[in-house]
Amino acid sequence: MVKFGIEFVPKEAYWKTVYYAIQAEKRGFDNLWITDHYNNRNVYVTLATTAMYTKKIVFGPGVTNPFLVNPIMTCQSLASLDELAPGRVVLGMGAGDKTTLASTGIEANKQLSAVVDAITIFKAMLEGKSVTYEGSVFKVKGTKFNFKPRGQIPVYIGAQGPKMLAMAGQIGDGVLINASHPRDIDYAVSQIKNGVNEAGKSMSDVDVTAYTSFSVDKKPEKAMQAASPVVAFIVAGSPNVILERHGIELDKANQIRGALAKGDFGTAFGSVTPKMMEAFCIAGTPDTCNEKISRLLKAGITQFVVGSPVGPNVRKAIDLISEQVIPHFKK
Amino acid sequence: MSYKKIVEMIPVEKRGTLSDKLLNYLLKAKKENRMPSSLAKCFLSQWQTGGFDDVVGLAVLLEATVTVEPEKTIEFVETEMQLAEVAKALKEVA
Repeated sequence: MVKFGIEFVPKEAYWKTVYYAIQAEKRGFDNLWITDHYNNRNVYVTLATTAMYTKKIVFGPGVTNPFLVNPIMTCQSLASLDELAPGRVVLGMGAGDKTTLASTGIEANKQLSAVVDAITIFKAMLEGKSVTYEGSVFKVKGTKFNFKPRGQIPVYIGAQGPKMLAMAGQIGDGVLINASHPRDIDYAVSQIKNGVNEAGKSMSDVDVTAYTSFSVDKKPEKAMQAASPVVAFIVAGSPNVILERHGIELDKANQIRGALAKGDFGTAFGSVTPKMMEAFCIAGTPDTCNEKISRLLKAGITQFVVGSPVGPNVRKAIDLISEQVIPHFKK
Repeated sequence: MSYKKIVEMIPVEKRGTLSDKLLNYLLKAKKENRMPSSLAKCFLSQWQTGGFDDVVGLAVLLEATVTVEPEKTIEFVETEMQLAEVAKALKEVA
């Protein structure tokens, strides 16, 4: 049965994010993903607080990256969280956003190797033994915790490009696909399958997760309006090959990129076209959203993540999803 | 007067609407740093273990909202909820 996850960006005071986390657990969500950006509240403080106020929801960073946070520290954080909330912790690891990382002075080179190294070190450290590993990006020499981790923690890999997707299928327990359209999921699943086959695994060993931009409201125009700023940023950050996959004119995408670069958000958000909305978000009434989620399920996802903005009113949107979306798929 | 006593002045049939509106004010509040750490923990514990519809829960929510958004909350209670005596009591504790 499909799992439902929800993503929160800890940009507000911790008690607001944790309020929504508690609400998500109460309303039947299976997974909670907290984003990890240096310019928001710390992901592990948010997750630790969430652990204290929840009992069953599974949670983790969605996603962290090995460039800003060394994989040893990621492993230490997750192993410690696993003591607070045994068996409820997962890791979401990706290569990070190059632009954001550049603002911290970090050059995110060899992204695929960096993620492979990080996950290799993460898994080895969780064994509780001394680890020596020489990857092309990260190296450790006789590294060992002074405590015994509880055991392995499922690893989800954030992936978009073909090599990262295949690698995620090969070594991950799950793949987080930043996509809201079946065309992108179809492509991702085919790449994941390559990695799964390479590893001699089965697709049922991998939790194929659509990490969507989502907005629901009883009034469709309100849902769409809430989603358009997020879509503007997705369009601006998407490689041209993905825009072309959806038939989006590059000059219109460049118009948004230019406006965002100048801080002209009105122009940027106003330039979002219906085609862009269709490609990069799931927005509308619960019925509309259910129809679109069904298409992603047919494409092969096993977890659906409700990502930002969730809805024009997050609290009411969570209730609406609980009442009219989750029951539609978990009868 | 305690917040619990103030909540007891509110007619039972109005408590659901009040709770819903207060949550909106609180979660959309810009001056979120006005929330003391101890009250934030109390707010989260109450949400985890119960909710904000009964007397105890609504008292916690009312205290949190009055602390973070005093003017908006009192004005709402007075004008939209038509609870003049409750608003007067809130002005005294705010």
